[in-house]
Order: sequence, then structure tokens, then C-alpha cells
Amino acid sequence: MKRWLLLQIGRAGLAAWATASLVFILSRLLAAGAEEALLGEAPDLQTRTVASSPVARQALQQRLGLDEPVFYVTRTSRDPAAWRWHGPHNQYHRWLAGLLRGQLGWSYRTGQPIGPQLRAAFAYTLPLAVLAAAGATVAALGLGLALASGGPASGGWRAALHLALTSLQGIPVYALALGLLFVFANPDALNLLPAYSLGANPADLTPAAYALQLIMPVLTLVLAVLPELALPLAAALRHELRADYATTARAKGVPAARLLRHHALPNALLPLLTSFANLLPTLLAGTVLVESVFSLPGMGRLLAEAAAAHDYPVVVAGVLVTAGVRLLCLALADVLYALADPRIRLAL
Amino acid sequence: MTFTSRPRPAALRRLAIGWLVMVGAAGLLAPWLPLPFAVGVPDLLHLAEPPAWTTAPRHWLGTDLFGRDVLTELLFGARQVVVLSLPATALAALAGALAGGSAGFWGNRGCRLPLAAWLLGLAGAWWLAVLPGGGHAAAGLLGAAALAGWAAPRLPWVSRAQWPLPLDSLFQAAITLLGAVPRLVLVLTLAAGPPLPMGQLLLLLGAVAWPEPARQVRAQMLQVRTLPFVEAARAVGLSPTQVWLRHALPHACRPLRAVVPLSLAGLIGLETTLAFLGVGRPPDVASWGQLLGMVRQEPSAWWLVASAGGALLLTLLALQQVARSNR
Amino acid sequence: MKYAWIILLLAIGGCMCSSVDKHQNHSIVRVRWVRDPENLSPLVQPNQNAVEALGLLHCSLLQLDFATGEHMPSLADSLPRLRLIGDSLTEVQYQLRQEATWDNGRPVLASDVAFTLKLYQCPGLPNEKAKAQLSFIRAVKLYPAYPRRFTLVCRGQVPGFSYETGDFPILPEAALDAKHTLRSYSLAQLARLSSLPPRDTTLTALVSRYQHADPSHHPERLPGCGAYRLVAWDIDRFLTFVRKPHWWADTLRPAPFVLQAKPRQLTYVIISDENTAALALRRHELDVLPQLSARAFRRLRAADSTDQELSFYSIPSYELLMAGFNTRRPMLRDSLTRQALGQLFDPAQLQRATQLGQGLRTVGLVHPHNWRYYNDSLPLPAYTPRRAAALLRQAGWQRRLAGWVQTKNPPQAAPQALTLRMRYRADDPTFATIALQFRAAAAALGIPVALLPTESSSFTKALREGDFDLYVRKVSSTPFTFDFTTLLHSRTIPESNFTKFSTPTTDRLIEDIATTGAPAQRRQLLRRFQAIVQAQAPLVPLFFLPYRLAADRELQHLYPSGYKPGYYAAAATWNLATGTVAAH
Repeated sequence: MKRWLLLQIGRAGLAAWATASLVFILSRLLAAGAEEALLGEAPDLQTRTVASSPVARQALQQRLGLDEPVFYVTRTSRDPAAWRWHGPHNQYHRWLAGLLRGQLGWSYRTGQPIGPQLRAAFAYTLPLAVLAAAGATVAALGLGLALASGGPASGGWRAALHLALTSLQGIPVYALALGLLFVFANPDALNLLPAYSLGANPADLTPAAYALQLIMPVLTLVLAVLPELALPLAAALRHELRADYATTARAKGVPAARLLRHHALPNALLPLLTSFANLLPTLLAGTVLVESVFSLPGMGRLLAEAAAAHDYPVVVAGVLVTAGVRLLCLALADVLYALADPRIRLAL
Repeated sequence: MTFTSRPRPAALRRLAIGWLVMVGAAGLLAPWLPLPFAVGVPDLLHLAEPPAWTTAPRHWLGTDLFGRDVLTELLFGARQVVVLSLPATALAALAGALAGGSAGFWGNRGCRLPLAAWLLGLAGAWWLAVLPGGGHAAAGLLGAAALAGWAAPRLPWVSRAQWPLPLDSLFQAAITLLGAVPRLVLVLTLAAGPPLPMGQLLLLLGAVAWPEPARQVRAQMLQVRTLPFVEAARAVGLSPTQVWLRHALPHACRPLRAVVPLSLAGLIGLETTLAFLGVGRPPDVASWGQLLGMVRQEPSAWWLVASAGGALLLTLLALQQVARSNR
Repeated sequence: MKYAWIILLLAIGGCMCSSVDKHQNHSIVRVRWVRDPENLSPLVQPNQNAVEALGLLHCSLLQLDFATGEHMPSLADSLPRLRLIGDSLTEVQYQLRQEATWDNGRPVLASDVAFTLKLYQCPGLPNEKAKAQLSFIRAVKLYPAYPRRFTLVCRGQVPGFSYETGDFPILPEAALDAKHTLRSYSLAQLARLSSLPPRDTTLTALVSRYQHADPSHHPERLPGCGAYRLVAWDIDRFLTFVRKPHWWADTLRPAPFVLQAKPRQLTYVIISDENTAALALRRHELDVLPQLSARAFRRLRAADSTDQELSFYSIPSYELLMAGFNTRRPMLRDSLTRQALGQLFDPAQLQRATQLGQGLRTVGLVHPHNWRYYNDSLPLPAYTPRRAAALLRQAGWQRRLAGWVQTKNPPQAAPQALTLRMRYRADDPTFATIALQFRAAAAALGIPVALLPTESSSFTKALREGDFDLYVRKVSSTPFTFDFTTLLHSRTIPESNFTKFSTPTTDRLIEDIATTGAPAQRRQLLRRFQAIVQAQAPLVPLFFLPYRLAADRELQHLYPSGYKPGYYAAAATWNLATGTVAAH
């Protein structure tokens, strides 16, 4: 088991590196955008000189090291296409060497090392994502069980709940977040929670105020991912309840609630374990809209803004981190499988 | 739909199919419908106005942020659903079922390929990447592959030269890659180029949406492959491919019924992101996702959410109903 | 009860929020920014927020007076004196204020100005943008006998030098170069170097000192002589500036307008979402909400009780929304065709629809508030499709069943069809509205238009490469500069003259306008220029956008204006009639 775990971690690291490398090379091949974004927008009538002149672009490339070849070998685009060897003087080599020394690189925009920037963003996103993942898991289990407990063609409040969950899926996350904001932080409605993450004075942020700020973002995230978890779970539970063993158990007089929780749930949950395990990494990187509505400087916003500004070193570092977390969570899901169902052999 | 009277499943099913047919018909026939407003023409005097049923320009469902009639946009947007979103969802489900199903069934060790197949793959890769030697080297490899294929039944050491294809690892890597690369980066990569034609857009949407169904199919497959009937099929002497396709896969695809309708909503949402970055369809092509996305600029426009969201919701419910009754 | 904890938390929240006093402290002003300034190095200045922040930390020689709209001496004790040298150089002489000191009490001297200019030109530093923009300053002359006097030698003879030479933050030499090593280099020498010479240890040491000080994120290590200090910066959340207790300009009598610093503390809060920001303003978690979109402005105004609590301002800015043609395309080479297509835009309706009628329509690139130079005898661009069709026929186009075709010259060539590809930035719905309006108008006339919304950095690249027939974009201008070189001169093709339009007449005219100082002559030239541009129609000016601002009603002296950023935070004071604590 220990060997298996080590192997998984090693494999996750390797895959994260491969992913980041791919993104690195892809992004550098398009780095023209970076200069464009750094030298400002299209020229205007305020200045008599154009900031984005070929000279300035070249100087910028030189300073950022973008004038070097991207990889050890490059393919010339001209016909006939041929490969050229560049040796260790290339951008990828620099990046990799930095990475091995624990250096993620410097942001184009701020000129700051990326490590602390990522750490700060992570500190905001992690509690949010963990709380939301936990909340969504609990809520999905509860709702899934509630939906399935009524039998196949149930009506009444279960149908209403089903409808509500489905319609939740049809509402954009952004509208969801704004809806909550307009309900709970609106002088015209319930004026209860702070509209943005700071309250009156940014300097003194007490833990209570911090917890208060997290309510709406967490609630939004939970609502946003709930349908995708609860509806498949309910469907799987209903399927299990129709299986032979369930009929047998019912004939033996096992109470319906017990049958649902102790017999059907473990079986139904199995295929969904990955979805649950994937929740955390998805929430870590995919909360851009929620973070921008609630003004939280988290990972999602950092990555999205970096991508929009063509700040590729930040993007690549973010990809590296999210890929690592995602792979670890996938490995965790596999462990959970093996624990939940001994028939499944772990693929080494 | 009423919930208290408990309509019979058959009636619900008929309703669901009716709605889907309506969406399809609207999508195909929209250009010929007698609509009071032309598609894509902004009414600059009535920008983002709520439904007006009594006053002069009767925008039955209001106007959007550009001043276009929402009803018209909705009907024309159905075309996008029929032509783009639904096919992309189907594509994603199919790709997900095949990829997740094979990764779950064979794992890392199960799929062993002979030497000839590996050489063939290498030759293809060599030729595609225009590696040194180009066509000649690829031809050489191709020859070697043919030789190995010829020799395999004759020479025992060649036939023993088989290596497993790490399907599961490849699958996990692909999923992680798509999951870790922020959508925005993926899209920005594409945004630098010319606007995508329909076919490529379809592929892109499919590529973005397949991991979720694939993951669930793989998970289900891990369970299914250990079930007695699969073992029985193996014992009967069916080839692994036949066991996989005929027996294991149909059972492993069960989670798709619940997942696929939901991923349609995700895809329609993604279209909005794409439009925001200038990838995908230009703004003069009506789509439900675009209408929904406008809430961002005008959060008080409830009629946009109500109409486009309502249409989307009904489609989702109908798909779910059809999927559920198709057991 | 399952949700008891939520209710409990909400209750706690309610108590906490309501306990927050409306104006906790009457000397704090909180302003919303859309994004982080990202980099506070004076060399980089990546966005408007950074420029604004640097304006608080540093002083420049001259500064824009928001009350009068003119440049006023800030560090300089008076406006500079210009002297023309030969036929291509100008000398601009400044005298620094006697009172001006750094925080440690040392005087601000001409050597600091020289050091600053050299730093902007020094290779190896992140100053690419500034280097290009200040490249017209060729040399600095110092006077050993007068340490506060200096002369800038500028290339060209442009009246605008009187304020352009004063518009950059002055940095302390002592902070980065205590040993005066940069004094041995001349400005021209540094400007010539495109990269760091490998064996030059002096420059290498300076660059490494700069990098080590890291002023992009630690502005306190390159302290300016402005009124404020940055005391807190949480990236993507907020920046807090605190007024220095003893600032050199406090002693000036009478206190110049540009050297005011009223609020004891200025907090810039970064709220990327406009709706969140509007709510925060209504909840008094924010005092100033600048750069509002038209829709948010209207919503905020329509909301209950905002009339008593907030003030709303909308002022025409100097940001011009305009369309441009790719004049190198064969079908758009004829000015009649361009004029015809220009008639298909509907500026009046678009302004009403997208800007609530705010902003200002214009005949050309000159702002109508510049009444002296604005050519008011020209007609405003208007939507006249019938005239457009007539103009197209006049240009040799013929209406066929499939659309418009031209078979004029050369006759043997295949007839060319009039179809347009229109590019605009995808991130602003205003552009999309304009594009849709134009497309609908063109379609009614039988001209197919393909819309190409483009991501912003690809947009500039596509324009430079000429990959468009027609674009719509926003151009910033100022009320002072009348230099159209970047937009319409042959010299800037294709770097910034994306339309690639140029004629010898306009080139000449642009140069004359830039160099003429006498108002009467300039007025004549500018009026002629506007007429020519309208007749040639490489560009179709639509309207100047408004700046919209909402602020707490009791916050006064914000000086809302059309100049960036649209308000003057350092002058703001709270109305003390209802307040309790004195501001200063």
C-alpha cells in the first residue's frame, strides 16, 4: 500500500510537470500577446510617441528573456520544415532549472516572484474551496437520499426538489452570486452581510468578519455544484433500489431507510467518488466568477486575470499547482474505491 | 407540469418529446417564421427593456442588452442548440463513454499491443512531427512495422514482443491536462487565431466537455468489470473487445443518463465565455448562452434569465425525462 | 433545525454590520478601483490606477489642475520658459521650488531631475514604455551655481513641450544612487544603449540596486516627495495611503491647488464587479465609485433613497469612440465609399442607447469643448442611408441582386463585391451594440458585414497587421495635445496609423498643427484639418464618452471632470455640517 501511494505521488508529480511543460510551450509560442499587453493598449492621441514600437518590443523581449528559443529544439516554420537544436540556452531550460531550485519565476506584470503571490491567493481560496466542497458533499448526500427515498416516479415535494435542482443548473453562476448579493447585502432587501470582503476598515479583519464574508461565496459555490452531484446520485440510488439484492432485502423486511443508507448508498456512491474527489480541485481553480463578485483575491481570479493579461509565468505556475492537487485527489479517489469495494483491484 | 396530480410517466414523456421537437422545429424553421422583429437587428430605442405587451413595439419577451427582441433571439438561438450544443453534448458523451470505458476496462496492463502496432504508431508520429529524416525514416519504420506484422505468427520471439498500452494513465493524464489548464488559457490560445468554423467549434466544445462523463463511465466500469456476467462472458471465450463492447460498456454507460443533460447546460454556459473572448460564434448569431450571459452586465434583467433560462430548463427537464424513461 | 447556524451567522452579521458607523472617521476617503495597480514603480506605470497612486506618492514638475483644466507648477515654482534653438530643438527651462524637500529634509534639486530622466533611459530596467515616451528629451543642462535650475533640451519645436516635459514623477537620487555614479553618463549616451553593456559595472550595479530595492512592490524604498505614504497594500484587495504629518508643501502660502492633500487617509478598494461596488457604495462601505457604466449609473440612480445619500456626476470625457477604415483595401480606397459607409453609423441613437444620451457628439478628433479649435461649421456625422446609397453609386458601385459590385478599374479585372469585416474588442458590450447597429444598417442596404469581436491584445496586433476592413475602438485624447501623428500620419504606418491613411497634405497639416503655437493660426489649421478628415473619412468619429461618478453626498470637492481618472481624490473633504471629526 505504501509503495502504491508513493508511486501514485510520483506519477502525479510527473504528470503535473508534463502538463505545465505543455502549457509553458504553448503559451510561449504565443508570447506576442505578452508584449502587446505590457506595452499598453492601442495607441491614442495622448502622447506623440507610440509605446509599442518595434524597438520597445524588442527591449522588452530581451528583458523578459523572450528573445531566446522556446525549447531545446524548434521547428522552423518555413518550407521545408526542419528541426534546429539550441542547447541549454532556451526559455524552457531556464524555467525548468528554476523550478528544480524551487523558483516558479517572475510575473511579467508585477515583476514579483510568483511563489508568494500564489501562496496568498491560495490562502484565500483554500478555506472557501474546502468549506464549499464539504458543504456540497453533505448537501448532495442529503438531497440525493431524499430524492431517491420516494421510489421511481414520485411526485410531490420530491419532484419540486428535482425541478429546483435542475433549474439551478440552468442559472449561470454569476447570476446566482449576484442574486445572493442582492438578497443579503442590499439596503432595499436584507441588509445583513457585507457587500465586499472587507467591511468598513480593511486593516482590522477579525476572524468573525472573515467567517461572515465567506458565507455568501460558499453558499454560491455549493448551489452551483449541487445539481451535478445530487442528481446523478439520486439516479444511481434509484437504480440500486431496483436491483435484485434490494428486492431480496425488502422481502426480508429490511426497513426502506436502512436499505437506502446501508445497502444502496455504498454501491451508488462508488461511481460518483471521482466526482466528489474532483470537487476540491475544480473549486480551487474554477471560482473566478464567484471571486470577482465577492471581491476575493483567490486562485481563480489570479489565474484568469493572468491569462487575460498574457502573464504566462503566473498561468504556468498556477497550472502546475492545480494539476498537482487534481492528480493527488484522483489518486485519493482510487484509494477510496479500493477501500469501499475490495473487488476493485488497484491498477499499478 | 403539476406535481400534486402526479401525471403518468407516459404523459410526461410525451410532453418532454413534444418540447424537444418544438425546440428542433424552432431551430430549423426560425428563418421562415412570421416574426415581428428581424433577427440581430437592434432596436436602439428600447435597450434592455422588460416585456411590453400593451405599448407600441410589442417585444413579447422584452429586449436584450443590444436592443434585440428576446423572443426572436430565443427562436433563432434554438438553432444553436440543435446544431451546436446538442451535437457537442452527444460527442462529449460518446467520447467520454469510449475513453472512460476503455480506461476502466483495460487499465494500464490489460491492453497489450504487438510490436507491429507500436512501430506503426511511431511511424505515424514521426511523419506528423516532421522529425529529421522526414518521410524516409517514417517509410523505414512503416516497413519495419509490416515486417513485424508478417513475422509475428511465424517467429515466437516477435509474437512475444508485446507491451501494454497504459490506457488508464493516458486517460488520467488527458483528464488532468484539460482540468488543470484554465479554460481561459485554452480559449486565449485559440483567440489569437482566426474565428473557428462550426466544425472546429463543435470539436472544441466536445473536447472541453468529455472529461465529466468519461470519469463517471470509468468509475462505473471499474465496478462492472468485476461483475459475474462479465467474467462469464470472458469464460465463454469472447474476445476482450467483444466483452467490452457488448457486455461491459452498456452497463458502464448508465451514469450518462443523469450526466449528459446536465452537461448540455454547462456547454451553453461555456459558449458565453467563448463569445466574451471573441472565440466562437459572433454576436450576430443568436444563442441562449449569450442571452443568459448578459445578466452579467444587466443584473436587473430578470426577463433574460426567465426566458433563456426557462427554455434551457425545459430542455434539460425534457432530456432528463426522455433519458429516464428510456430504460 | 438544519439551517440554524446560517440564521445564527446572519444574525451576528446583522449586528456587526449595523454597528458600523456611517462615517466612522471623517478624514478617510474610500475609492473603488476595478483592478490592482499591479506595479508601483514609476518606470513601469502599467495602468491608470498605478498612475493615480504614483501621483499621491510622488510629485512631478507640473500637474494638471482639475479646477481650471490647465497644467500648473507643482515641484517647479513656475511654468517653464521655452526657447527655440535653430530649427529643430527647444530648450525648456525650469526652476524648482525653494521649499521642496524629500522626507528626510534634503532639498529636491536639479540633480534629482537629471537622475530621474537618466533612470527612464537606463538599459536593463523595466522602462520600455517610459523610454519611448520621453525619448524627445535629448539632454539635461545643470547649473552648478543654481542647484534648483535646469534646462531640458528637446527634439522638435512643439508648444506642447511646456507641459509634456513636466509630466513624470521626480525620484530621489540618494535612494538609488547615493554615490552619484550615474552622473558620469549623459542622457543621450544612455538613450542610445538598447541593452546593458556586459562590461559596464556601474550600470550593472545600478540595475541590481534597483532590482534589489524592488520599487515595483515597495514604493517606500524609492520614496517620493508626494503628500502620501503607502502603508498597506494587499494585492487585489486594497491600498491604503496615509497623509504625511509634515509635508513640505504645507508651508506654502497661498497653497497651490495642485499641492493639496486633504484626506488624512485614502483607501483604494479593489472591487472588480460593478454591481458589488454599487451595493458597497449604497451600504456606505465605499465613498467614491468612479468609471461607472451607463447601466449601473442608471440603476443606482433609480434605486430607493440614493437621492438623499449619493451625488451623481456625468461629464464628457476625452475618450473618443470611433470607427476606422482600412484604406489600403481596394474597395475602401475611394473616399466616397468610406463616406458612404460612414453614413451608416447612427451616432445619435447609439449615444442615447449606450450612454443614456450622455457624452458629446463631435465632427472630428477635436473635443467640442475646445470651442476655439472645434470646427462647428461642419455637419455632425448622422445616419442617412439614402445618402449612403447615393454616395456608393457616385463611387462607381452598382447594386446587383447579390449586393454591390464595382467594375470600374481596371475593366478586365473581376468585379469586386462590397463585403466588410468589422473588428472590435470583445470585452465591451458598447462595441457590440455599435457593430450590430452598423451591420443591420448595412444589411438593409445590401452590404454584408461579418463581425469579428477580438480579444484585446490580439486586437492591436490584428489592426497593426491590417487584418480588418473596418474597426471600432476607443481613443483617449487630451484637451492640450493637438498632435494627430499617431493616428493619421504616414510616419506611423502601420505602428499606430491603422487606417494606413495618408496624403502629403494631411501629413503637412499634422506637422504644422503640432508645431504652431499662435492660437489664431492654429485654429485655422485645425479647422481645415477637421474638414479634410471628414471629407476623406478614414475615420468616423462617433462621440466622446462620458465619465460617470457616484459618490457619497457629503463628500465635497471631488472635482469630477473629463480628465483621467475623472476626480481629484486629494482635494476631497467631508461636509462638516453633519460630521463630527475635523478633517485636518
